[in-house]
Amino acid sequence: MLAGTTVAALAAAPASAFAVDYLSLEEAQRLMFPDADHFDSREIALDATQLQALDAQGIRGRSARWTVRIARHGDTTLGVVVADAVIGKFELISYAVGIDGDGAIRQVEILSYRESHGGEIRLPAWRRQFVGKTQAAPLRVGDDIANISGATLSCTHVTDGVRRIVAVVALARRNGSLP
Amino acid sequence: MSGGRAVVRRARPLLGTLVEIGATTIEGAPPPATSAAIDAAFARIFALQQRLSRFVAASDVGRFNAAPAGACIDVGSDARAVLGAAAALRDASDGAFDVTVGSGPRAWRLDARGLHKLADEVEIDLGGIAKGHAVDCAVASLESRGVDAGWVNAGGDLRAFGELALPIELRDEASGGVRRFATLEDGAFATSRREGPDGASRHASVAAERCLWADALTKVVVATGNASHPLLERFGARGWLHSSPIGSA
Repeated sequence: MLAGTTVAALAAAPASAFAVDYLSLEEAQRLMFPDADHFDSREIALDATQLQALDAQGIRGRSARWTVRIARHGDTTLGVVVADAVIGKFELISYAVGIDGDGAIRQVEILSYRESHGGEIRLPAWRRQFVGKTQAAPLRVGDDIANISGATLSCTHVTDGVRRIVAVVALARRNGSLP
Repeated sequence: MSGGRAVVRRARPLLGTLVEIGATTIEGAPPPATSAAIDAAFARIFALQQRLSRFVAASDVGRFNAAPAGACIDVGSDARAVLGAAAALRDASDGAFDVTVGSGPRAWRLDARGLHKLADEVEIDLGGIAKGHAVDCAVASLESRGVDAGWVNAGGDLRAFGELALPIELRDEASGGVRRFATLEDGAFATSRREGPDGASRHASVAAERCLWADALTKVVVATGNASHPLLERFGARGWLHSSPIGSA
């Protein structure tokens, strides 16, 4: 009856870390805005009043500084892309959000996924290792395509993060620091 | 095995979890074709989520949950596929599989007219089976666009297809980290952990041909504590109960 399905249980291995790089930010922004001919990087700094305004919407500003990539075709602004990383119980997920000119979410792409023991993931060294990583290595079918099966993986942190980015971009547009 | 073939791998937040799709590049087609096939599979999952999520008021499930007793809800083909399987599993497992999470296991009925609500308080949550169905639909979508090998993983409910051996790492739910557990070829694998009716927390995995069955049958193994429940054999599935920490048994 188990036609076509081969599941061979292997010997128990010690718990180890798990990591996948999906896209670099450059690849993600090209996927989200294929018509863009260039992307301008812009830093946004939220002041105390703006962070309070976010708080009032039930959104924790968390960071006052954001880097926004503006997708342009010639002089036309197509939208923006913002990258961020969130930490879950055992995982560190970086992702990018593409937002259209009217503020609607165009696309959310996961850039990378790191999973390890809860303590390890909060170490600064672990974060540094993550921060430097932007270029996705070419992937080959083999050991490096391992997949996790688990029971508790939730993307709550990512959805909260997406909501925060949408609010930050809306705020920046209202005060004129973004087109 | 297709050793050495390039794989395109992407992930998006969907179905309340992280959904990963891997596809070997389509032979004879330019690279964007593989990427477009993955986009279409993600779109299929999104559409399914909008029809089946209890968090979407206009979904088939959302409308059922909001309706009074006696209502008959018009439902789409995805809800029919999932609820049909859910009814079969409920009856075969003596109620151990229950999409109403105790609010009225027999207070709904699906027939040619639609989905009947038989009690005011009954609410449906397809969390225990719809992810598996979504994975199956995404696989079908990839295959229809010419992807001959790949996988779809919805937060641990996963299926591999084509000539590909997918190493599976089991997440250690208690302390984090992962352990190599198995290699999956042309089949589905799902993992679940929750409290059984007796209050004991159980952690189980099931392998089956289709992900809908793998996903749903983990709930039966968790609820009954029986990794060799007769239902598994009926659906060509195999189950495991994991001791804690994983792999120490």
